[in-house]
Amino acid sequence: MTGPLFPAQEIGSLAKPRWQLLGQRGEPLDAPSVREFQSWNDRIHFADAANPVVRALLEGRSKDVGAEAVRDLGAVFALRYFEAAGLTRVYDGEARRIEMYEYPIRQMQGFQFLGHVRSFDNKYYRKAANTGEVRLERPYHVEEFDFVRDHATGVPKLPITGPYTLADWSYNEYYLGRESGWKGPAARRRAQREFVVEIARKAIRPTLAALIEHGCRVIQIDEPAAGTHPDEADLVAEGFNAATEGLDATFSMHICFSDYRSLFPALLEAKRCDQWAWEFANRDTEERDGYDILRMFAEYGDTRQVGLGVVDVHRSEVETPEKVADRIRRATKILGDPSRIWVNPDCGLRTRTLDVAWQKLRSVGEGARLARAEFERAG
Amino acid sequence: MQVRTSLTGPFPRSEALVAATRDLDRGRASAESVEGQFAEDEREVVALEARLGFDASTGGALRWADLFRPFAEGWRGFTVGPVTRWFETNTFFRQPILHAPPERVAGVVRAALPKAEVVPPDRTKVILPGPFTFAGLLDNRSGETREALTHRLGRLIADDVRELRAAGYRTFQFQEPLLVTDPPTGPLAEAAVVAYRSLGAAADGATTIVWTYFGDAAPVQPLLHRLPVGVIGVDLAETEPDQIVPPRDHRGVGLGCLDPRTTLPEDPADVARIATSLRARGHPKELWLGAGGPLDLLPTDAGARKLEVLPATKALLLRSEAAA
Repeated sequence: MTGPLFPAQEIGSLAKPRWQLLGQRGEPLDAPSVREFQSWNDRIHFADAANPVVRALLEGRSKDVGAEAVRDLGAVFALRYFEAAGLTRVYDGEARRIEMYEYPIRQMQGFQFLGHVRSFDNKYYRKAANTGEVRLERPYHVEEFDFVRDHATGVPKLPITGPYTLADWSYNEYYLGRESGWKGPAARRRAQREFVVEIARKAIRPTLAALIEHGCRVIQIDEPAAGTHPDEADLVAEGFNAATEGLDATFSMHICFSDYRSLFPALLEAKRCDQWAWEFANRDTEERDGYDILRMFAEYGDTRQVGLGVVDVHRSEVETPEKVADRIRRATKILGDPSRIWVNPDCGLRTRTLDVAWQKLRSVGEGARLARAEFERAG
Repeated sequence: MQVRTSLTGPFPRSEALVAATRDLDRGRASAESVEGQFAEDEREVVALEARLGFDASTGGALRWADLFRPFAEGWRGFTVGPVTRWFETNTFFRQPILHAPPERVAGVVRAALPKAEVVPPDRTKVILPGPFTFAGLLDNRSGETREALTHRLGRLIADDVRELRAAGYRTFQFQEPLLVTDPPTGPLAEAAVVAYRSLGAAADGATTIVWTYFGDAAPVQPLLHRLPVGVIGVDLAETEPDQIVPPRDHRGVGLGCLDPRTTLPEDPADVARIATSLRARGHPKELWLGAGGPLDLLPTDAGARKLEVLPATKALLLRSEAAA
């Protein structure tokens, strides 16, 4: 890595501002959302007040503006927000996305949505059954990326749901059905492997290829399900390799809230992964060093970059820059080479208010600056 | 060999109940109207269980937010804790936090079961957390060791079993996924056995079932066979059928033959073959067929479709027995 030590990157979603939510529903902006718009515009200058779209939106004519133009404005807002917070790698805060499973699955053939499954309490999610061979209808996220590429001043880093997670969150019917006789543990594993690799090869890889064709150079493959079945960590790696085979870009793998220890060493077989972008801050408490797990990389001789989660996305309490710097310092001590470290929030910040997320991102940048100064002083 | 079929855990909520409970959370529906939908769903599950010829009825445990919630909310010593992953699934439970040695509150379990006019007690299968899994999954801040807590929960749940026996309930199933995903050894294993002695004594001749799932039961069979219960259930998605050793004393065996982690329906002929082989190897008195894990990992229609496999398998087994 060249350039200053400890560059910062975003990791995913950002809360959608109230003006965007109202605007894309065609509802006129209320006073708080107008104030929110103007206050952020004063800080990060994402919209030109003279622009007819902006004027119409602020004058209560959301219907005239249309949902797509509002989303465009939301995407520019997120880009400027990340850039103004000092991040090197940015995206649009997933301004056009509402979730990370249903949309990609709906771009593929071979799936059927069946109904809702309870996640917990009265919370549910929709889950699809894979009932036929996986095929891609058309590469997705491409228009979204084009817009980001055309409007970003930072380096765009596109997040995309990984093949293992898409498979794990679906019912495997087609590939399991091809196994003959009783489908015991061994048959299930074979079928799951085939399912993961088929999604990777037939849907994710062509999508990544199209994105790269459009100029996408940095891609984050999200695998939140990676830790769900520790004995399938090798499938996560295999899916990653199949999705990225022969493609020329910088790839990272984002995992969070998992027992990382259980993923070693199988996950390290994801040979085309350039960076492990994981959550650490959430597990870093007074009683427990959340960065100690980084020793596993040294233990297995893995010297790839680490996207270091230095602020917790599940707590509103804002980490001080000193705390962020301390986390960077501890990670560097374990990893040895400071140039391996990027800094980022643990995960997408959409669970926090825009104000809290902003302060956390500022702490990331300031903490990195403090740590950098220390390392530079130390020579 | 008696072949019995039943639900072995929660049934998925209908799309109407999903909508109603979501509306409740969003302040768009009243608790009364949502309770009406719960009651309607429960009646439908009971009707489904009857149509499929199940030997016992559960009502689907639709109101149970998770396996531990009635206890975490109703017994003393607990608070309801954070959302926690439910084994290797993309579903969650709220981890009970135990702040002091737990105290049972009479009537809590009974209130969480279908009313007698919906399912008579003698037709009801009562599904409860097993003491080992309960003690192992809660956040224990009580100061008691896990062994002591396993004992204690065994005794407290046994008091519930006694209360329910007196009210006419005859079939009890204890959910013990943790016994196979994180098998105990040494004093903890002995604690589990002792806890089940309490439960066995309280059951007083009623049918008692330990249902394991989410893990391979094969390595844990020596311990499972020591539990003084009538039936030991294993998850066939995790346990290779030829590794199942029927208990030497011909007690019952449970086959978790429906995998709620896939919508693909099982072939009744495959299940019947496994059951036949088991019968030949061990002559178990009873064979209970059900789902290998909670069926509410599926949407409601897919769950109902899966259940059709159970009577079809039972019919095949009875036919083959008659032919023999």
